[in-house]
Amino acid sequence: MKTVEKHQHMDTPEIAARSVGARVLRSEDPRLLSGRGQFIADIELPGQLHVAFVRSPVAHARITHIDLSAVRDAEGVHLAWSGADAAQFCEGLVGEFAVEGCNPTTMPLLATDEVLYVGEPIAVVVAETRYAAEDACELLDWDFEELPAVVNADAAAAGVGVANPQLPDNFGLRGGASFGDVAGAFEQAHQIVEGRFYTCRVSAAPMETRGVIADYEWASKSLRVWSNTQMPHFLRYMLTAYLGFPEQNVEVITPDTGGGFGQKAHVYPEEMLLPLLAREVDRPVKWIEDRRENLMAGAHAHEQYVDIAYALDATGKITAVRTHALGDGGAYHAPPWSMAVEPWCAVVMTPTGLYDAPAAEYTYAAVATNKTPVGAYRGVGYMAGTFARECLADEAARATGMSPFEFRRHNVVPEFPWTNPQGIVYDEGSWRESIDVLESMVDYPAFLQRQAELRAQGRYIGLGLSFFVESSGESTAGSQEHGLGDVYHDTATVRLSPNGTAHVTIGLSAQGQGLATTMAQMAADTLGVRVEDVIVETARSTSHAYGSGTIGSRGAVIAGGAVSRAAGVVREKIRAVAANLLEAAVDDVDLVDGNASVKGAPDTSISIAEVATAIYFDMSSWPEDFDPVLEATQAYDTARAMFSNGAHAMVVELDPETGFVRFEKVFSVEDCGTVINPNIVEGQIRGGVVQGIGASVFEELAYDESGQLLTTTFLDYGIPTMDVSPPFEIHHIETPSKHSASGVKGMGESGLIAAPAAVLNAVNDALTPFGVVLRELPLSPEKIRAAMSGATESAAPQVVAP
Amino acid sequence: MKAAKFKYVAPRSLEEALGHLGSDPDAKVLSGGQSLMPLLAMRLAAPSVLVDLQHVPGLNAIEDIDNAVRIGARVTHRAVEHSELVARRVPILSLAARHIAHPQIRSRGTFGGSTAHADPSGEWPTVLLAVGATMHLQGAAGRRDVHADDFFVGPFTSSMEPAEILTQVSVPATWDRWSFQEAAVKAGDYGLALVAAVASVENDTITDARVSVGAAVGSVTRLREVEQLLIGAAPDLNTAERAARVATDSVKPISDIHGSSDYRRNLVGSLVKRAIVELKNGA
Ligand SMILES: Cc1cc2nc3c(=O)[nH]c(=O)nc-3n(C[C@H](O)[C@H](O)[C@H](O)COP(=O)(O)OP(=O)(O)OC[C@H]3O[C@@H](n4cnc5c(N)ncnc54)[C@H](O)[C@@H]3O)c2cc1C
Repeated sequence: MKTVEKHQHMDTPEIAARSVGARVLRSEDPRLLSGRGQFIADIELPGQLHVAFVRSPVAHARITHIDLSAVRDAEGVHLAWSGADAAQFCEGLVGEFAVEGCNPTTMPLLATDEVLYVGEPIAVVVAETRYAAEDACELLDWDFEELPAVVNADAAAAGVGVANPQLPDNFGLRGGASFGDVAGAFEQAHQIVEGRFYTCRVSAAPMETRGVIADYEWASKSLRVWSNTQMPHFLRYMLTAYLGFPEQNVEVITPDTGGGFGQKAHVYPEEMLLPLLAREVDRPVKWIEDRRENLMAGAHAHEQYVDIAYALDATGKITAVRTHALGDGGAYHAPPWSMAVEPWCAVVMTPTGLYDAPAAEYTYAAVATNKTPVGAYRGVGYMAGTFARECLADEAARATGMSPFEFRRHNVVPEFPWTNPQGIVYDEGSWRESIDVLESMVDYPAFLQRQAELRAQGRYIGLGLSFFVESSGESTAGSQEHGLGDVYHDTATVRLSPNGTAHVTIGLSAQGQGLATTMAQMAADTLGVRVEDVIVETARSTSHAYGSGTIGSRGAVIAGGAVSRAAGVVREKIRAVAANLLEAAVDDVDLVDGNASVKGAPDTSISIAEVATAIYFDMSSWPEDFDPVLEATQAYDTARAMFSNGAHAMVVELDPETGFVRFEKVFSVEDCGTVINPNIVEGQIRGGVVQGIGASVFEELAYDESGQLLTTTFLDYGIPTMDVSPPFEIHHIETPSKHSASGVKGMGESGLIAAPAAVLNAVNDALTPFGVVLRELPLSPEKIRAAMSGATESAAPQVVAP
Repeated sequence: MKAAKFKYVAPRSLEEALGHLGSDPDAKVLSGGQSLMPLLAMRLAAPSVLVDLQHVPGLNAIEDIDNAVRIGARVTHRAVEHSELVARRVPILSLAARHIAHPQIRSRGTFGGSTAHADPSGEWPTVLLAVGATMHLQGAAGRRDVHADDFFVGPFTSSMEPAEILTQVSVPATWDRWSFQEAAVKAGDYGLALVAAVASVENDTITDARVSVGAAVGSVTRLREVEQLLIGAAPDLNTAERAARVATDSVKPISDIHGSSDYRRNLVGSLVKRAIVELKNGA
């Protein structure tokens, strides 16, 4: 794999940790938890009009007639468009992915000839109120001729029907690669373990749905767009690229956001339409997605089949891994990513994990179906890949007669740096240690004893493990390491005020992760001030710092790097003036705890506030040729791909009568390098793991055979709640990165990436007495009950002789 | 998800409320709104006028009357849940109340609203059918009482006339033993199956019993075969197991994305068993 050339924006200052590592309380919480946040729905612009969409009630149909006149005549309506009206301004959003075998699609802003999934927008109405807009939507006069719906990935791959005429063979993506002697390894294998794993279709279901407000001012030609997007700068770029609004006149504003999880890291037709509508009606226009729309038209996630096989030698060592992933992509590539995000990521990023497999082969395919497009969701692709790999590891442990800990220890990579068969280089990690730590946290012998005792009473508990390696800090280097060419960087601005307090702006919008707190910690340590003396503004507007998006566990690493570089510039200014005032050499001046002091002479010190005041108001304090600007904007990107790692162990109990899964306990080990703030890291683990529990047991976006979506409210789509969330025991290991500021690594996705495998493994462990192994999500009560009453057919684990 | 246009009135008396209902066939009673407003928001219902009962006097009491507890239609689920009188005299209601939705919804949703709504997954319809409650209805022509057996006639359908108002429900307090069982995936969810069972017991023999099932079926239903088996039997584990088998064989469950009819059939059997075991233990 290629690595990037080292650039100056990849170096960060070396700083001693003071507030980094501390359980600093989140500065966002008093505001957000007392209802003082301002979310997009809270924003009211004078004169605003409201937007509603007519969405397809059927999965696949040809529009034979559409007449908007009754809609346009309805009370309170200002404008109504169908696909043809929108197409005059924009033909649609192209979705593609720069990997071998990707066939692009263009998603129209409003369907024109054919509708391809339930929920696809067909017409848009602008009216005085949302009520009036929805009343008018009901008056749309249109006819359609239903076409056969393609709703199953295997059928789509076999060419049964055509889901989207732009992809005549249904394939949105197809490719593969092989590294090392995979065929030989499988021929000579002592034993092969294999299985087909299915991760069902789910929604990220953020607490706050999507929303867009657009306001166009014709006199200055300026466009302001409020969106709760995770990628405001990218959206701004797209508004120019697709719609021609001059970029210098476009501002994208991101208010408080109630969760994104990747669903808001796309560019959607609604975000393109609202600016056009605002310009047309010359009034601000507002659209707040309702839950039904969110479940139908917000990006769906996860649905794919992963076939994975290990060749094992006589000692139980993995000699090769083969992975085939087939993604059910929905009707279009979801821009700006694509159907590739699931199957491609799964096979390229995850098959070796922490195991020292010398050879690997993969194929990936994504097919179009008449369902909502699949997009990003926390740990996209990583979840399904890790799920297949870790569940197969448990099956391999059973097949080789080893404990699940022992099998992993037997196969774990022994030393770093390690280059996997694809050429991906892992610089450091605590892969082996995490196995040992988790085993002692769980107290495995005690668990086995308790399990046996309970079984004798007719109670069934199970323990499931899942280990992960998470690519973190999505970067140019990380992208190249995985064979892509994406270029990323972020900027941050740090300004020191005359009283020695700091103001920081970053290029990332926040969705609730506590970025303002962690970034204040990074800035405080670099500047040597107290964390309470730093205020951080996340990207509330594109008129501030630049950012490539709050995606790919990049916030802590990338924004942290930019903040620390910008703070480093200001730091040098302070040191220069402090040295002058203290009559010491600059190199001897240290900034810690609000003071500038001379190394070895702690009494010779001056407060940073005094230095800042002097810089602003006392020119005699300045050294020669001093430029008094106490503000710096710096960019950052990592020099190398970096990976965090860790594991979860889950204890569950199954009720044989109801088939319900009770979650008893989660043990987590996390190594994200230097921990900036344990509270925030633990919050990310808890939230991610509970989402993983949801995606394994409670959640499924279900379709019927005609492509009708059956789960359009939270009555039918079950998200996990506190009462199913188990207690956690969390252990931190810190293996710092040599390439990031303070050694931090990203960890925002690992909970969801790894939890589902732990759940399935725990369930299968509990099912051992019944001789059943499950491989498909969700683990519905019905499936579990059937497994426990001997009604499941695929009973025997698939262990095949070569 | 915004409702179509409707008018709203908040009458101060039952007569006035009945007047509104009588003069407009598309008028609808609004109680706690926890079922009706979602239907309006999803445009599955579009009544012309909502007749809000919140200011109508006399619908808010829980009263101890001879052999029964009488509960006003506007009494919230939460008030039933926390009523000392209910817990003492008709404890099955206290047991069931905790399973209805979440505290927020229990604070708004009402006993009468849920009963009138006749949701096959509703805790109240299931319990009221088991205990053999009496619904007190008021129409323009006068009052009438309807027994639960004649009240819940189908999915979301009761035998009330559109222009009638449910004012109170009398819940008999004469049963010796009670049990309420629910299998819900998460706390607050609608159940996949509900079973309510009540019995009179003399000398360790069941002399009378009623058992109903909700959620797993198209509309709340009595399990008459199970009742027949129980009468004359001892409330013990053996009876519970036999009752479970009869329930499994006789119930006619629905199928949907949350569970097939086979799954629900077995679930009902398990809940019936748990209910009878609890009848035995309860006193
Ligand atoms: C998220 C959520 C979860 C829920 N979970 C459950 C659950 O687990 N179990 C459960 O049982 N319920 C559940 N519900 C429904 C809730 O219990 C409602 O309160 C109940 O079904 C209806 O009572 P209401 O007072 O809100 O009635 P409304 O919604 O006001 O009315 C319901 C219907 O009854 C009619 N009506 C109301 N009062 C009268 C009257 N006095 N006379 C004649 N007609 C009348 C109305 O016209 C309407 O048709 C849930 C609701 C929500 C929103």
